[in-house]
Amino acid sequence: MKIKVLFFGVLAEVAGTAGQNYEEVKSFNDLIQMIKDDYPEFVNYNYRISVNNEIINNDLLLNDGDEVALMPPFAGG
Amino acid sequence: MVTNYLIDGPITQNVIAHLVEKIGGRTESGGHSIFLGQVRAAEINGKKVEAIEYSAYEAMVKVEADKIKESVLSDFDDVNTVDIVHSTGIVKAGEISLLVFVSAGHRHQAIEACSKTVELIKEKLPVWKKEIFDDNSHVWKQNKTV
Repeated sequence: MKIKVLFFGVLAEVAGTAGQNYEEVKSFNDLIQMIKDDYPEFVNYNYRISVNNEIINNDLLLNDGDEVALMPPFAGG
Repeated sequence: MVTNYLIDGPITQNVIAHLVEKIGGRTESGGHSIFLGQVRAAEINGKKVEAIEYSAYEAMVKVEADKIKESVLSDFDDVNTVDIVHSTGIVKAGEISLLVFVSAGHRHQAIEACSKTVELIKEKLPVWKKEIFDDNSHVWKQNKTV
């Protein structure tokens, strides 16, 4: 599956990019591991994950073309 | 221009005045409550905040702000309209970065619903902020969780 991954807030700064596309993604857990391998520094930060604009708390079935975002705690307002 | 609740840069007097004019004509409303969030020149460890740089997950801001509006309109039966505008990009100290405008039949729900909307924005809107200091250093902030 091809998955678009976005990084926000401090994660984007630390990664040096607003995100990247991942090809050959087999599952949600597979994707998370690929991101951790590419960006080991993320282990120092708290973040939540959304899939197609919905925050998720557990792993789930991804579909080709899904958009996944890694979001540090919000700071709006 | 405001697109899906977001505006690039500070919220200007024109934006505020336009909303007051647009909403003001609604004859079913008897009270409007407006909250303006401003960038404060806070002092931290001897350094002063000069500006905040806001970034947002725009598609998700639309989803979440729609839900906030819906929930406030549903919880407050006297409220007629809820308007939200949040800045992205650089907003300097003294400039406005958040506008919430609630119109209701009467003042009590206008004020309560406006306050509730601000709290929901702080909790749920996917926006991030970087405080930029007078020495060009910066720090990422997060909202206090309840």
